[in-house]
Amino acid sequence: MTNRIVNHPVLGELTNQTSVTFTFDGQTYEGFEGDTIASALLANGIRQLRVHEGTGAPRAIYCNIGHCFECRVTVNDTQIVRACMTPIQQQMVIESGKMQPAPFKASPEEWPRTYAEFEKMNEHHKEGVPHG
Amino acid sequence: MDQTIICRCEEVSLEDIQQTASRYNCSAREVKLRTRAGMGYCGGRTCRPAVDAVLEAVTGERAGHDIPLKVQPPVRPVSLSVLGGESR
Repeated sequence: MTNRIVNHPVLGELTNQTSVTFTFDGQTYEGFEGDTIASALLANGIRQLRVHEGTGAPRAIYCNIGHCFECRVTVNDTQIVRACMTPIQQQMVIESGKMQPAPFKASPEEWPRTYAEFEKMNEHHKEGVPHG
Repeated sequence: MDQTIICRCEEVSLEDIQQTASRYNCSAREVKLRTRAGMGYCGGRTCRPAVDAVLEAVTGERAGHDIPLKVQPPVRPVSLSVLGGESR
């Protein structure tokens, strides 16, 4: 467990925390009870929670008060859950936000004519940009 | 500096907004429709003051309430399941 303040001048030492296990993009991590998803991931050194759906630019916590939806992730197959507002729970399955295919961005001449062509165009969008 | 992202939901940079505003002498609503700044997931609640400020700097138009970059109710976007129905 890294990145935590374990000895605070006012709050004292960080002790007696209950450990919580969860997965993020298939990897197993540990957080503490009372963590939000965002803080648990931050404590594990993960700052990138998703990529921009269109451009693939990395995104992380922005406002951290549930206002901006920049930290939205998929939790237990429910889309658009704010990582900064959702307490972490035992065995939570969290998936980062991936790039979405944008097949109709180019000029009409470049549009796919068949579904096979459409799938081929979007092969590289499936994984998005890796985090870490 | 000009590459600073103003609208993070739609990834619109300061440069995009400035250029659009000066080329078309836009109103707040027009710059929103042309660049998509403020039309993303958060509903413009994050970038609206910044877009208004950029517009005021470029065109001199002060953010008014005639043709506003409206924040639509509900105050926070919620999923339909919050309003009732499936509990998920």
